[in-house]
Amino acid sequence: MTLYHYLALSGLLFASGVFGVLTRRNIIGILMSIELMLNSANINFAAFNSYLYPDRPLGQVAVIFIITLAAAEVVVGLALVMAIYKNLKSVYAEDYNILKG
Amino acid sequence: MLEYVYILPLLCFAAAGLILAFGKWFPGKGASIGIAVAGFNFAVAATLFFKALGGGLQLPYEHSIPWFSFGEHLATLGVYVDGLTIAMLIVVTTVSLLVHIYSLGYMHGDPRFKRFYSYLSLFTASMLGLTITSSMMVFFMCWELVGVCSYLLIGFWFEKPSAAYAGKKAFITTKLGDLGFLVGLLALFYCAGTFEISKILELAHANALPIAAAGGAAILLFFGAVGKSAQFPLLIWLPDAMEGPSPVSALIHAATMVAAGVYMVARLYAVYALSPAAMNVVAWTGAITAFTAASMALTCFDLKRVLAFSTVSQLGYMMLALGAGSFTAGMFHLTTHAYFKALLFLAAGSVLHAVHSNDMREMGGLRHKMPITYVTFLIGTLALAGIPPFAGFFSKDEVLAGALARNPYLFLLGAVAAAMTAFYMARAFIMTFHGKPRDAHKHDHAHENPATMTVPLMFLSVLALISGWALAHGELFEHLVNFEGALPFELHHVSHGTVALVSTIVAVVSMGSGLWLYRFKPEIPAALREKFSFFVDMLEKRYWLDAFFLMWVDIGDWFSRFLFVFDFEFLDQMAIDGWAWLTLKLGAVQGWIDTYIVDATVDMFGTVSLAGGRLARTVQTGFVQNYLLFVAVAVSIFAAIAFSG
Repeated sequence: MTLYHYLALSGLLFASGVFGVLTRRNIIGILMSIELMLNSANINFAAFNSYLYPDRPLGQVAVIFIITLAAAEVVVGLALVMAIYKNLKSVYAEDYNILKG
Repeated sequence: MLEYVYILPLLCFAAAGLILAFGKWFPGKGASIGIAVAGFNFAVAATLFFKALGGGLQLPYEHSIPWFSFGEHLATLGVYVDGLTIAMLIVVTTVSLLVHIYSLGYMHGDPRFKRFYSYLSLFTASMLGLTITSSMMVFFMCWELVGVCSYLLIGFWFEKPSAAYAGKKAFITTKLGDLGFLVGLLALFYCAGTFEISKILELAHANALPIAAAGGAAILLFFGAVGKSAQFPLLIWLPDAMEGPSPVSALIHAATMVAAGVYMVARLYAVYALSPAAMNVVAWTGAITAFTAASMALTCFDLKRVLAFSTVSQLGYMMLALGAGSFTAGMFHLTTHAYFKALLFLAAGSVLHAVHSNDMREMGGLRHKMPITYVTFLIGTLALAGIPPFAGFFSKDEVLAGALARNPYLFLLGAVAAAMTAFYMARAFIMTFHGKPRDAHKHDHAHENPATMTVPLMFLSVLALISGWALAHGELFEHLVNFEGALPFELHHVSHGTVALVSTIVAVVSMGSGLWLYRFKPEIPAALREKFSFFVDMLEKRYWLDAFFLMWVDIGDWFSRFLFVFDFEFLDQMAIDGWAWLTLKLGAVQGWIDTYIVDATVDMFGTVSLAGGRLARTVQTGFVQNYLLFVAVAVSIFAAIAFSG
């Protein structure tokens, strides 16, 4: 198990997150995909920390921060989704086109 | 006395205004003023005349006041009186007075009686002004004024279209001559540098005028006389001028105004005498006029027109005499002619007043009805025909002698004219007064006229009888009126007795044959009239002179029509409207350029911006995922670049 294996996993996870964000119609799915991308970053942090500075848990601290941040982000995101849903009666991202020029 | 001579025309001017404005408050509706002024003028003129004949006057007398100055020249108002002036003055005032009196009867009951007297006074004023003025400028003004009066009085009965037409014709025809007069006057001023008659004469006598220029000026001035004195070829207006009242014909168109042309030539005789060409023009014009006018009178049936033709012919005699160098004879004939022709016209007017017709074919046998008119007309006829011892004999004899002294052909024309004169006067006399009445109705209503008309006739008869003899006697007239300069040609020696004998024989034979033909053989002239209808037609049409001038009028008419068409059809249509059309077309082109090039350019910016905007907004789908896709793609590309580099 080398660093590259971790990085590959993290890359795959990020790619599937991006893919999910770009292709999902459901806004909830998009939010979930975002969580995937955050977690792939978390894997990166953890992997780099254990290989570069095994004695100091710097990466893990960052991971904790990110998990917290992700939780807060999901709270705000879901609140926004609720508000938008109340207005537009839709959870599909293509209906959220009021920013169109 | 001479110092106050300027008062005569001014008085007449004042009288003219007074009669016109306040005439109705004076006795005789203003006629009294006119007659009083004319009488006063006559008295003054007669006194001057007899004083001058007796040598009791210092002549020439000149006095003038400055009027205005132009450049370095001074125009003056003043009087210049010499023997010539006095001779003219007495003629004008005598005839004027008698006509004023005569008109009392003739114009009685006319609705414009007052105006008639006003015009008469105005005419007399202008004529006197013309006679005594010291300046050619004032002379010209008065010359035009008498023309205006002539126009007003010919057209006095303007309700008649023929009278209105005749007035116009007279005015326009004389204006034609006056054009030459004006140019001549300016030419004379150019030569002499002054309008003063005395100075012009002085220069001419001193031979100080350039001969060619002075001759040219004289000939141009003579054009004015040709118009005013009805010389050939402008003689056409005078016969028509007979549309005016008879007293007017007597005063203006026989005695005075038409003689103004002769007077003008006589006034500037020293200038004329410088140039043989000018003298020849005057003489030949006079001779041709005398001949043609006399021939026209032969076939005319209108009594007044016969007299009018005769007047033209006699004016031709005066011009002939002046042109031939017989100054005294010309002025002498002017004087005697004024009296006997005024007499004839007034007598004819008396006939007209009784018969109410001008046509001799409707008269005849009037001698018992109108004895005074008959006798006075006979005296006038004899005087005009040149039968001794009547006035016309003396003057005509001198004219013919003068013509013979200059050129036998001039004499021949004059003598033939004299024969014709005697003939047509005999014809007119017989047709009017003798034979059977041709119009019984008119004859029955004819009557002798009141004393206001017959007294002037008698007075003039006396003058027609004695004036020739009295003035020729002891060469009285020659002492008064004589030209003391050199003539530009030699005169032949002529025996006066022979000429007198010849002219008397010609006159007597011609008059006798006329009397005999029309009294006893009226069918012979009628037959001749048939036979020579071409010549009769020619004479009645006045040698086609009228047609000739009307042709010019037509040409002018045609030309102005042409100009109108040119203006309307060509200038307006082509130039003005064409310009508008061109402007329109240019405007259309400009409009097209404006719409499709300028505006389109401006619009293009808008369109391009719009299109650009439309293109740019297609990117802004509003789908968050799209935007993310762009970001992802861009990041991938940048990443690829970064890693490959």
